[in-house]
Amino acid sequence: MTQQGLATAPLESARPPRERGLVGTVVNSAWPVAVGLTVAAMMHVMLPTTIGPFYTRIVIDSGIAIILAVSLNIVNGMTGQFSLGHAAFLALGGYTAGMITFYGSLLLWNSPAKQGGFLGSGEWLFAFACLMGGIVATLAGYVVGLPSLRLRGDYLAIVTLGFGEILRVILQQTRPVIDSVEKLKNAGAAQLWPPPVGGAVGFNGLPKYTNLFWVYAFATFMLVVAFRLKRSSLGRAMISVREDEFAAQAMGVNVARIKVLAFMIAAFFAGLAGGLYAHESGLIMSPRDAGFQRSLDYVLMTVLGGRGSISGVMLAAIILTVMPEALRDFDQYRLIVYALLLIGMMLLRPQGLFGIHEVWDWRPRWRSRAATTRSMPAKGGRPNA
Amino acid sequence: MHNSQPPAPSPQPPAASSLLAVENIGISFGGLKAVEGFSVRLPAGGLYGLIGPNGAGKTTVFNLLTGVYPATTGRISLDTQNLNGLKPHEVAAAGIARTFQNIRLFPGLNVLDNVQLAGQLRAREGLASTLLRTRRYAHEESEIRRKAFELLDLFGLQARAEEPADSLSYGYQRYLEIVRALAAEPKVLLLDEPAAGLNSQEKIELAKSIRQIRDRFGVAILLIEHDMGLVMEICEQITVLDHGVIIAHGSPPEIQNDPKVIAAYLGSDVGAV
Ligand SMILES: Nc1ncnc2c1ncn2[C@@H]1O[C@H](COP(=O)(O)OP(=O)(O)OP(=O)(O)O)[C@@H](O)[C@H]1O
Ligand SMILES: [Mg+2]
Repeated sequence: MTQQGLATAPLESARPPRERGLVGTVVNSAWPVAVGLTVAAMMHVMLPTTIGPFYTRIVIDSGIAIILAVSLNIVNGMTGQFSLGHAAFLALGGYTAGMITFYGSLLLWNSPAKQGGFLGSGEWLFAFACLMGGIVATLAGYVVGLPSLRLRGDYLAIVTLGFGEILRVILQQTRPVIDSVEKLKNAGAAQLWPPPVGGAVGFNGLPKYTNLFWVYAFATFMLVVAFRLKRSSLGRAMISVREDEFAAQAMGVNVARIKVLAFMIAAFFAGLAGGLYAHESGLIMSPRDAGFQRSLDYVLMTVLGGRGSISGVMLAAIILTVMPEALRDFDQYRLIVYALLLIGMMLLRPQGLFGIHEVWDWRPRWRSRAATTRSMPAKGGRPNA
Repeated sequence: MHNSQPPAPSPQPPAASSLLAVENIGISFGGLKAVEGFSVRLPAGGLYGLIGPNGAGKTTVFNLLTGVYPATTGRISLDTQNLNGLKPHEVAAAGIARTFQNIRLFPGLNVLDNVQLAGQLRAREGLASTLLRTRRYAHEESEIRRKAFELLDLFGLQARAEEPADSLSYGYQRYLEIVRALAAEPKVLLLDEPAAGLNSQEKIELAKSIRQIRDRFGVAILLIEHDMGLVMEICEQITVLDHGVIIAHGSPPEIQNDPKVIAAYLGSDVGAV
């Protein structure tokens, strides 16, 4: 029935998938997480004593930046939407987590101070609070994702930017923090609404739980999700939306679902990172953190790293965290440098340092060039030999 | 797996048992009636042509059939399913796949992923199993991959699987678009000018391929094409559009001798008819 023509290679030649037992599957599924948690624990135990508090802090900041940039890249890089409001999810998660640890600690332990040591009760409350921050941010991500169904490019950017700025203004209107159980019990509605999270001065007095372990545990979580997503049917659907929404629909991709899903996943991790940020010592979560400037930092990381390159964005997150620390004295020029960097990238390498490739995919250019110049061969296993 | 369905034995007359039944659909853009009162009945395994001068409304018909534009009049049904009002991705799930007049591959995905994308149409596993890499998810993904390789193999593209889609030559990009559409395992395949930009040798090969695709996959094909030689050679029935309305429908010899068709093409490429 197949006449000459279409190559008649045996159709069943493809290898059947390798079967794994239950244990194999679990190991296969969980090993990256196990490795990541081990590395995180080792960093926590060893790094602070070897590199000192200043560099430890930079490593923590880098980890948080990685979570934020890689998550934003799911929306901006993989799915090709342009969100300028990622910091809003960070703030939402941070404030949510902060409320849980602060007022939770007050009610549980009569004091907002840190409880227990490494992996002690206080840290578990903190981890739970971060997760809740992620969940609240996810819900917001759903709402913010909806306009992406109708708006494109600049318009979506403006809506997401507006979301961040609105949140910033709302957070400024919140009530002062209530710092003792007695006051909390006697507080009336006027003190409790809008929520007592510090208003314009920021959410002071949070227990500073954030450490290398939790940052890199959550970063591991983020990276495993990002890599698995990228190589999955869902990830391909996201990239197809970025590449050509129209063709994606025709191939059966539910574009609306994919866009909203991307926003929700990204928001979840931004919220999680917000929890880490809010509980980092030396920082005070403030309304400003929801705003445009902070969002721009993460956009820059994704632009620099390359749309869809997870490792490239990680690298960019580290570079853009370390660089301002190294150039502390020039802090007032930071925005100028960023703007120049952004313009330079757009002109010279709009696809980012690594484009869609991972750092380890990098190959000399001439090889792919050679492949493009080949045309349809005249014989061989091509259509209609 | 694909070739389990027997090929259509011979050209079938447009019987009541049509797979794709389109009745009287139309749409206007502003004041312009781009398509009006369009009907066609495509039987299972049929290979039909849709021709007409530039701007006649052929691509618009495809856009109507695939839910890109909602048909303001008429009815579209596939098998027994009513497609009116479905969104493009729902139409794709129902079993209509298409190619585009201007190639629309996903250049940022490699050749294999362009084809694998179709797998998500029938994928059962959701976000949770994707992230947990459950056994069923892994199995589903490897099935998608296997099927994609099978198709690429068939079209001699497997050696290029890892290359970016836009690194392929023009002719291969056209084939890849067809492969990508086939990967969706459609019942009906809509090809929008697949021979555009191909040289005459490539066109001859394409003609053969289209027939073989129909036979091997048991898919019904509706073909838009400007190359009259190709259309007359492979299509069983041809519908001719002009200014959005059907001016003729029939077998290739009937169409070739239809005075209205000749008139419509006068001044354009009448010589090819
Ligand atoms: N989205 C749209 N908005 C406005 N007018 C449109 C739209 N799509 C198509 N048209 C108009 O409808 C008419 C039919 O266009 P269509 O693309 O269907 O023609 P075609 O037969 O495919 O032509 P060609 O052979 O050049 O591809 C044209 O006049 C075109 O300008
Ligand atoms: Mg057209």
